[in-house]
Amino acid sequence: MLRQVWLVPALPLAGFVVCLFAGTRLGRYAGWLASALVVASFGIGLGVFSDLVSLPDASRHVVRHLYEWIAVGGFRVAVDLRVDPLSMTMALVVTGVGAIIHVYSIGYMDGDPRYGRFFAYMNLFVFFMLTLVLAENFLLLYVGWEGVGLCSYLLIGFWHERPAAASAAKKAFVVTRIGDTFMLVGIALIFLRLGSLDFTAVLRIPCGPGQHCPPAITTDTGVSTVIALLLFAGAIGKSAQVPLHVWLPDAMEGPTPVSALIHAATMVTAGVYLVARTHVLFEVSGVALTVVLVVGLVTALYAATVALAQDDFKRVLAWSTISQLGFMFTALGLRAYWAAIFLLVTHAFYKALLFLSAGSVMHALDGETDLKKMGGLRRTMPITAVVCSIGALALAGIPPFAGFFSKDDVLAVANQSGHALAWLIALVAAFFSALYMARLVFLAFFGEERTERYAHEAPPVMTVPLGLLAVGAAFGGFLGANETRGLLQTFLAPVLGKVREPTQGLSGPALALISVGVAALAIAVGWLVYGSGRIDWVALRVRLSSLHRFLARGWYVDDAYAAVLVSPAKAGSAFLAYVVDARLVDGLVNASGQLVRWLASVGRRVQTGFVRNYALAILLGALVLLVYVGLRI
Amino acid sequence: MRTPIAYFLVASAALFTIGSVGVLVRRNALVIFMSVELQLNAVNLALVAFSRMHGSLDGQVLAFFSMVVAAAEVVVGLAIIVSVYRRRRSADVDDVNLLKW
Repeated sequence: MLRQVWLVPALPLAGFVVCLFAGTRLGRYAGWLASALVVASFGIGLGVFSDLVSLPDASRHVVRHLYEWIAVGGFRVAVDLRVDPLSMTMALVVTGVGAIIHVYSIGYMDGDPRYGRFFAYMNLFVFFMLTLVLAENFLLLYVGWEGVGLCSYLLIGFWHERPAAASAAKKAFVVTRIGDTFMLVGIALIFLRLGSLDFTAVLRIPCGPGQHCPPAITTDTGVSTVIALLLFAGAIGKSAQVPLHVWLPDAMEGPTPVSALIHAATMVTAGVYLVARTHVLFEVSGVALTVVLVVGLVTALYAATVALAQDDFKRVLAWSTISQLGFMFTALGLRAYWAAIFLLVTHAFYKALLFLSAGSVMHALDGETDLKKMGGLRRTMPITAVVCSIGALALAGIPPFAGFFSKDDVLAVANQSGHALAWLIALVAAFFSALYMARLVFLAFFGEERTERYAHEAPPVMTVPLGLLAVGAAFGGFLGANETRGLLQTFLAPVLGKVREPTQGLSGPALALISVGVAALAIAVGWLVYGSGRIDWVALRVRLSSLHRFLARGWYVDDAYAAVLVSPAKAGSAFLAYVVDARLVDGLVNASGQLVRWLASVGRRVQTGFVRNYALAILLGALVLLVYVGLRI
Repeated sequence: MRTPIAYFLVASAALFTIGSVGVLVRRNALVIFMSVELQLNAVNLALVAFSRMHGSLDGQVLAFFSMVVAAAEVVVGLAIIVSVYRRRRSADVDDVNLLKW
């Protein structure tokens, strides 16, 4: 099946074309067709995966050449697909979780006037994400990178009749574009310094002393630092890290399956994938790794605190996604790439599950997302309550659910690599993560009912995907349960390096005990405040209103951007539009018109309409000519 | 003894000036037309005189051309004057001043 790897991205692309042009004619079948194609893509991905596994460890990277794309002088870029453990892991997550979300959308988007269009965009998104992860060179990766940006724009603004959705789509596009621009510069720099954009040529693995390494990279840490930081800037934008995180919470304006697909499971993980893929550059630089670590830690802690104060079901999850991505970057910064990918995989399961549960709740409550107006839903929506709790427990890091293993790995690496401060910060962030998940579940599903509406369980086409994801969220952690010799770790080792045995810090079981203790404590606190009914959390919020507002508005980061960047830019644009353009440029144009009019109003008096005046003019003209000729002779 | 060319030229210039003044000062279209013919014939006279001076026939041939053209022009011009007169009951050129600012 290795030779058929091109089918993996080609099937969703075909689905996009069909749904785009025949979407309305297909009607309800558009959803089934789109889902079937992604499922088929997942099946082929599994076939490729099994072929890859049958190869010996050392030769597990196959490049499938499709065609020459650009060939200008020494600049050669081909459309090549790379099959190696990392790209296949990503491709299977994208198609697997993507397929489940597609099926769920069949029920969720039922009755939408642009049903076919929705699935066309979803398929296009899967196609671009697969291009991104399967690309063999930076330029093809960049095509996928921009493609998912485009699709996120289209899908966030899917209900573009709503101004909030339209502006959220624009914001996502513009903010991620800032990072993309840096990344493009980085790619150009790679070609300039290394003469190639192919991963195989640029990122020789392993690249230790005595082996053949790319010359410029190994000798010049300055250049590799610049390149790594430029690439990381792209990752910051796409993965919504501080300071370019502002687009993700707003992106919740899109349909909920979109949030699950793009803003939890797959697209935002592109940044993590990029850093893991190019980790050689980051390692040579060293400085870049520290930057990744700091950004990851800051984001993990910051977003977790903000998630505590959100009242919107989906916004809690959005901030939680940012925080979890921060954990992944923390792992990357600690050179534990496999831990980042492990967290990425498990996070894809439980975050997609949580988002789809949110969609199920919204489906039942006519689009209500305010946690204050929910409560007691476990009685009317038992399935959703159970799967959402599984997702929450997985995120909080309670064993044996998936998040426990992956998050514990990140915390353990932080401790055992001697980064005690990083470990403490991550532990605090983990505490807050468990707390906001407990708050979410207790407010939405427990306590007395605060909604007037009649809640009901979703149809099977939505609950079955929820069940599948719940299985993943519950048991996905066993992929890497053994810290050093887990399935995922050994599989990824050829690309991301072997897991290092811990040399210092606390022992594994002790660390696991600590992180479970922290999570359990957070859940207990959450129960006490939001679930037990003994504390009036509404009154508590009023007493701490300034702190609450600070957190709810995301530490006023958006407001600061508005004040520092957006307002001056708007004022400058207004100056250019209403003064420079309207007065100066238009003034010049109008003035030249006025001048012609004035000259004409004077000059037209010459045309008297009297024949004799013309005759006189002819005569005078003839005389002048005569005199002139006479003088010349 | 041949008559000096200056006589012919002076006569031609005098005729041309009379014609020019007539075109400029008269208001009746027919009179203006006659003045124009006078100018044309003044030029014809000059052409013939120069032709004689140079001893070639070029000037005389050109004079015939101008006569033919003048005849054609008279036909067109008189037709216009007649049609203007029919419409306006006047042959005064100052009455026909619509084509102006």
